[in-house]
Amino acid sequence: MASTQAAKGNRSAWDTIVRGLEAVGIKPLGAVSLVVLALLPLVPPFNQEHMMRWLIMGAYLAAQAVAFDFTSGYINVVNFGFAAFVGLGAYTSAILANDTPLLIVQLGISPWIGMWIGALVAGLLGLGLGALTLRLRGIFAACLAWFVGIALMGTARNTMSLTRGALGLHPPRLLETTSNLPYFYIILVMLLVVYVTLRLVTRTRMGLAFRAIGQNIDAARASGINPTRYRVINFALSCFFAGLLGSFYAHYLASLTPDTVMHTSKTVEVLTMVYIGGRGSMWGGMAVAFPFVFLMNYLRSNLEDLPGLHLVIFGVVMILVMIYYPGGFAAVYDSVATWFKGRLTGERRT
Amino acid sequence: MQRTTSFGSVIVERITGNPAASVVMVGSLVLAVVIGVFGGAAQLVNAVVTGGMWALLAVGLALIFGVANVPYFAHGESFMIGAYVAFFVFDPIKTYLQDNSNPLLFALGPFAAVLAAGVVGFALGVGLERLLFYPLRQRTKAGEWVMNAFLLTLGISFVIINGTTLVLGPNFQGIPYYWAVDPLELESLEVRVTVDRLVSFGIAIITIVALWFFLRRTRIGRAIRAVAQDEVGAQLVGINLNFVYVLTFGLATATAAIAGASLLSIFQAYPTVGLIPLYTAWYVVILAGLGNVAGAIAGGFIVALLQTATQQWVGIGWANVVPIAAMVLVLLIVPSGIFGSEVKGVQEQ
Repeated sequence: MASTQAAKGNRSAWDTIVRGLEAVGIKPLGAVSLVVLALLPLVPPFNQEHMMRWLIMGAYLAAQAVAFDFTSGYINVVNFGFAAFVGLGAYTSAILANDTPLLIVQLGISPWIGMWIGALVAGLLGLGLGALTLRLRGIFAACLAWFVGIALMGTARNTMSLTRGALGLHPPRLLETTSNLPYFYIILVMLLVVYVTLRLVTRTRMGLAFRAIGQNIDAARASGINPTRYRVINFALSCFFAGLLGSFYAHYLASLTPDTVMHTSKTVEVLTMVYIGGRGSMWGGMAVAFPFVFLMNYLRSNLEDLPGLHLVIFGVVMILVMIYYPGGFAAVYDSVATWFKGRLTGERRT
Repeated sequence: MQRTTSFGSVIVERITGNPAASVVMVGSLVLAVVIGVFGGAAQLVNAVVTGGMWALLAVGLALIFGVANVPYFAHGESFMIGAYVAFFVFDPIKTYLQDNSNPLLFALGPFAAVLAAGVVGFALGVGLERLLFYPLRQRTKAGEWVMNAFLLTLGISFVIINGTTLVLGPNFQGIPYYWAVDPLELESLEVRVTVDRLVSFGIAIITIVALWFFLRRTRIGRAIRAVAQDEVGAQLVGINLNFVYVLTFGLATATAAIAGASLLSIFQAYPTVGLIPLYTAWYVVILAGLGNVAGAIAGGFIVALLQTATQQWVGIGWANVVPIAAMVLVLLIVPSGIFGSEVKGVQEQ
């Protein structure tokens, strides 16, 4: 009939968009949230510089969470030295960008190029470390990654000629502007790139192999998958993106010390985001990172006479989530969405 | 049938059975001698005393991991609470002793502080287990236990550290010394040890030995070891799992609190005082083998020797880096730790 055909025509345009987005792993609600996020800094009260800084840190944390979840959620290995890879990318990029006589390396490479070199270095270290340790059980690889991270941080602290140690570096910024707005869009694009790339990888046969290894490594081996090889690829990819994000951090903040980038507590931040957001979902950590950053900063700035209260609240939230909602936000969302859809379809049938 | 295993043959068996452990132990003894000869006896004494402290902390951590399968990242907080309790118990004693002379109180007052810390630490462990880990155990599926428990301990750590900062303030609270006597000296070897450090080492050794005796010779200790080996088997022979978990947690936190209390005059008491002990205890446990309680004792001394040697010859800044690099090398060869790990239920993850 003419009317249904017209209706079909309208729906197919919408369908193509939805299907296109789903092909890259973005559900309609996610796309809407991304658009809202992109437009947020143009809307008061979010157009204040400190709010935009929070948005940038939120996006930075979200991107890290995605890269982290790629390893912890799919091959079930917790990269407890994650912050060290982020810091490695940051320091590589910062050192390469240096053109002052403060360090022995004065190459003055543009941060836009140095970023990718930093990512490559981090990825290569991840490849090497993974090749050495990922033939073991995940917990031993996690411990070794942690130790390597600490050793890396200690080395950064102690080699004054290369890193200026605890005095820190002041790398050049990516752009010449003092406004935070362009940086927000840069990190937002990076977040999208990281998410879409890793999502697409999980949709390939390699992603299937990851999931098999994560769920039951012996069964995966019996199916003919070489677990070590896939684990190493996964780990290296995650570290590559960690390094990329670290470089962004270095050239956005323009101030870099070993402790602010490589410390175990930075890994813990990302780790808790991933687990509260829902391990294995890839988007859960992203979704939780933004409200978390806002809440923490808001509490910290408004409760100055009660120092540390925001961390007490955070600790209590973590305890409650781990005991009562271990699947994290993503699991809660999925169960609510399923219930909601059930109600909708149920009503339509009656 | 008579058993004819001689003491010598047992030793030979132990050495050939675990070559990595033997190599490391011999190497550590050599290192100790080197430190003593080239660094001075004072450095060696320093290393041994520090080693006792790390051993005490690591034992508690290994116990929790081995028995309850919890990667306990809030162990430093028991240390911190022990230090605070000792401070609040000893400070009034110290004030009293300044004006009145009471030799008995002078000699035994610090021990009262340490004992109080132990009791409070035990109560803390029991409370944490009942209130938090018990519901977690009821609700978590087997495959997710390790990470969920780990994150729970992180949450506990955040709450305790920042709660203490809120309530007691971030400042250092401490005492200059427990016993106002001169340090013990051995002129010929240029060794000076304060009485506090000596007594803290003694307390550490006594606590470790007492714990060892408890685990090896008593029925309850055997029950704890049984649960560490095989939960289901332990249940089958009628061991009350919940009781064992509660007791294990209490013992572990009590030992950490005792450590914190005995070191009050050296570390002082402030909210984040437990972080370095926590990290070092974890290094020891990972190096010695996850869940291996005996290995943790030896591991504590080994790590202390490595740290002292590094400080002496490489530089203070590298005090953590070099031992950790050495540990990475060791773990690449023997990933389950020098003395072997005894983790149960950590599936292929």
